Amino acid sequence: MPNRLAYPLAFASGGLLTLMVLFNGQWAREGTPLFASWMAHGTGTVAALIFLLLLRAGRKPSARPGKAPLWAYLGGLSGAVTVMLTSTTVNSFLALSGTLALGLAGQAGFSLLSDRFGWFGLPARRIGATDLAALALILAGSLLVIFT
Amino acid sequence: MLQPILFALLGGTLVSVSRAINGRLSLATSAMSASFWNHLVGFLFLSAVALLWGGLMPGGWPDAPVTAWFGGTIGVLFVASGSWLVARIGATLTAMLVIAGQMVSGVALDLALGQSDGLLPKAAGVALILAGMVLARRSR
Repeated sequence: MPNRLAYPLAFASGGLLTLMVLFNGQWAREGTPLFASWMAHGTGTVAALIFLLLLRAGRKPSARPGKAPLWAYLGGLSGAVTVMLTSTTVNSFLALSGTLALGLAGQAGFSLLSDRFGWFGLPARRIGATDLAALALILAGSLLVIFT
Repeated sequence: MLQPILFALLGGTLVSVSRAINGRLSLATSAMSASFWNHLVGFLFLSAVALLWGGLMPGGWPDAPVTAWFGGTIGVLFVASGSWLVARIGATLTAMLVIAGQMVSGVALDLALGQSDGLLPKAAGVALILAGMVLARRSR
């Protein structure tokens, strides 16, 4: 059942990403990419805290099974390093389009491996031919959008 | 020549890595809680980088439209939704659908902002993406 909701939610969250890149980029236009990312993480921390308080207010504390390992709290490092890497590559010969295209390749390749082997404590999943074909279509369409 | 290529590939890989890590955290807490830790840890790390290497505000506090202040909040919703999704539909399907949404909304935004260069190949790209989404739906 969550799958029904998941498809439109995932597609919509891609739209959120477009808006986020647009708005965060407004800091970077006159500041630095580091400043843009620092501001986004700082204001985001405050926003997340407010969201958490609002969510908690309407719900009694639920007992969740299990404890997260310590590394599970470090996802933010990965995101922060991404910004540092891509802010150098957009200024290289790759420019924005090359950075985006190779970024898609990195995401797709890693996601396939991670699903196949169940990395990071998430369930392993079979990748079928139809999944690969769907991925190929989406990547091909993305390259057309990026490079034109 | 090789270094920017490796950096860009690694950048994309780390997008998926952070989504998987946050997804794991969301299993033990909640998607919004995972997004909170993601932003706090990222903020502390970037603050440390700025203290060590500088370069945070070389030209003083930059002027930006008021919308710039909302980028972080949108990012919180984006990370929370990604954490929720990756734990339910997997990394590949999440990445596929998010990329599809990003591309299609990017083209829509370009149109809304009056940038209609290369509209025909972009429309063809959107058509391919939508076809891929229909196919992804079939496979479940």
